[in-house]
Amino acid sequence: MDSTAKDSLLLKQIEEQMNATNPPVAQQPRSTLSFNPDIGVIGDFRGSYISRGKRNIDLFLNETEVSLQATVDPYARADFFLSFGRNPETGQYGVEVEEGYLTTLSLPARLQLKAGRFRSAVGRLNTVHPHALPFIDMPNAFVNYFGEEGLKDEGLSLSWLMPTKAFYQELLFQVTSGYSESPAFARSDKNRLLYVSHLKNFFTINDDNTLEIGLTGISGANDSARVTNMAAADITYKWKPVKLNTYHSLTWQSEMFFNHANLAENFSINSFGMYSFLQYQLAKRWFLTGRYDYAQKPYDKTIKENAFSLTAGWYATEFSKIEFETKTTDDNIDKRFYQAWLRWIFVIGAHGAHQY
Amino acid sequence: MKKISILSLLLVCISSFVFAGTIKIVTTTTDMKSIAEFVGGDKVSVTSIATGYQNPHFVDPKPSYIISLTKADLFVTVGLDLETGWSPQLLSSSRNTKIQKGAVGYIDASIGVSLLQVPNAANRAEGDIHIFGNPHYWLDPLNGKIIARNIVNGLEKVDPSNKTYYEGKLQEFNTKIDTKMKEWQAKMTPYKGSKIIAYHNEWVYFETRFGLKIVDFMEPKPGIPPTPSQLVKVIKEVKDNSIKVIISSPYFTTSSSDVVAKQTGVKELTMATSVGAFDTIKDYFGLFDYNIDQLTAKLK
Repeated sequence: MDSTAKDSLLLKQIEEQMNATNPPVAQQPRSTLSFNPDIGVIGDFRGSYISRGKRNIDLFLNETEVSLQATVDPYARADFFLSFGRNPETGQYGVEVEEGYLTTLSLPARLQLKAGRFRSAVGRLNTVHPHALPFIDMPNAFVNYFGEEGLKDEGLSLSWLMPTKAFYQELLFQVTSGYSESPAFARSDKNRLLYVSHLKNFFTINDDNTLEIGLTGISGANDSARVTNMAAADITYKWKPVKLNTYHSLTWQSEMFFNHANLAENFSINSFGMYSFLQYQLAKRWFLTGRYDYAQKPYDKTIKENAFSLTAGWYATEFSKIEFETKTTDDNIDKRFYQAWLRWIFVIGAHGAHQY
Repeated sequence: MKKISILSLLLVCISSFVFAGTIKIVTTTTDMKSIAEFVGGDKVSVTSIATGYQNPHFVDPKPSYIISLTKADLFVTVGLDLETGWSPQLLSSSRNTKIQKGAVGYIDASIGVSLLQVPNAANRAEGDIHIFGNPHYWLDPLNGKIIARNIVNGLEKVDPSNKTYYEGKLQEFNTKIDTKMKEWQAKMTPYKGSKIIAYHNEWVYFETRFGLKIVDFMEPKPGIPPTPSQLVKVIKEVKDNSIKVIISSPYFTTSSSDVVAKQTGVKELTMATSVGAFDTIKDYFGLFDYNIDQLTAKLK
């Protein structure tokens, strides 16, 4: 009997076993089964330099993020991200629930509901965890409006995948309580909640080129117990060739924020901020990112910040990367200053997929 | 009377519209697509997320893929964590309960495959290892039969009325594999035991089926790009074992194997890892036709 005939016979047996009513005991145990969630830990170690102030250099473990993710039951999945980080002012370490939410899996009409604490659906940067970004510091405009940590809050998020056939279109509407500690928005001591809506449009130009255009509207209470409204737009173009897809790529991403803060009777401030970055993948493991920031402050538009930064990243594997960033900022208050950072990101355990 | 006839005509129109619909299958790779198209015949329409020349570990989860997933009746995955970096996210974003893991429309094509290289320990110091075993099992044509069986099982669950049709198609597929297998074995027999070098550890099922011997890899560890010391090691191995060919895949650059070729005169061959890797490879059978013809030409 030649090997093909032998193999066919063996296959017949396997097929018969598969068709039998009682499935046979698996020959190879595939893993130790358990209902434990997927657990991952991400370390973010940094060194920093600033040309201003008395202490110019620092070394610190910026953040330790623990992720716990699993399906709850046939109707929902849950994701928790616990962040152990240092308070930059006090130097004390503390724990924060960075995100903790439930996502439905079986709502009709292409709806998906999220409940809990989550990053608000503002543009492109806000929903991404900082370790996954191609630069170390956040853009000035983003920080001036939402803070270093970004806008995140507790409440409900409803997403609708629109039935558009020609391209991907998703509409999100979020109602949250306003716990977010961001410069632009504050918790109201009255019943004013924070509302965020986002329309995402994703176009596949061809296999190698994609374009995303998003619009965001935010409305919520501010520090003065009055209302701030914000409109934001984002545009992202990516060139990622499908052939030899891990060697070269290019991303151009920009966001603009228009803020209208009503701070007193008959007194409002309109301010504007934006960033734009271009990232090029030089080789399989090397990335270079240049970024321009322009920012005003939500409560003082006379401050104008202009900044340029350049980041080089070496991605050792999917589980660790080292990045170096330099930045120069002119903020029309003091003289121009310079900053530099070094960041080492490392992951153990499960590591979820990043969004495109 | 007239009203009733119009109404019944309308009903016929609606029902034919509903039932004439084909079973929509979305597969992660083109090999799964080719087999699904064979066993599903004219009852199915199949799309694949990855192309044939793409590294199936690293597919970008573009939102546009979600559109086809929202309407799918069946989702076919290679499984064994091959697509872990992108398919779970696409599935959960699809809001399609029919194809979620555990649902009737979710088909893990690896069920029943005798897995090779199942690691004893999960340690990332070994590089990109797969804790369930090497996931490139479709490169053994006999595993194609198991994939086909799994897809047919799924089809019969969502479309039980056509069970006989699918069973007939499966039989046809298996017979064709058996016939082609004799031809492939005959071509490969003279080269049994041939030693080769591969770029990435993805040929073990092909190697085992056709009696080849992969001596080493260009990558020092799976997923780690070739290092100078690895090249030195490979050059020595090529010389010591008089190795004739280095095989690679369409999604890896050849710069490192070019160096080895220059130093030793070893031939280089980009093999097809999936249907559609090259334009001439139209289906699952064509995948092996291509690889075996190319490889035997180089081993001569």
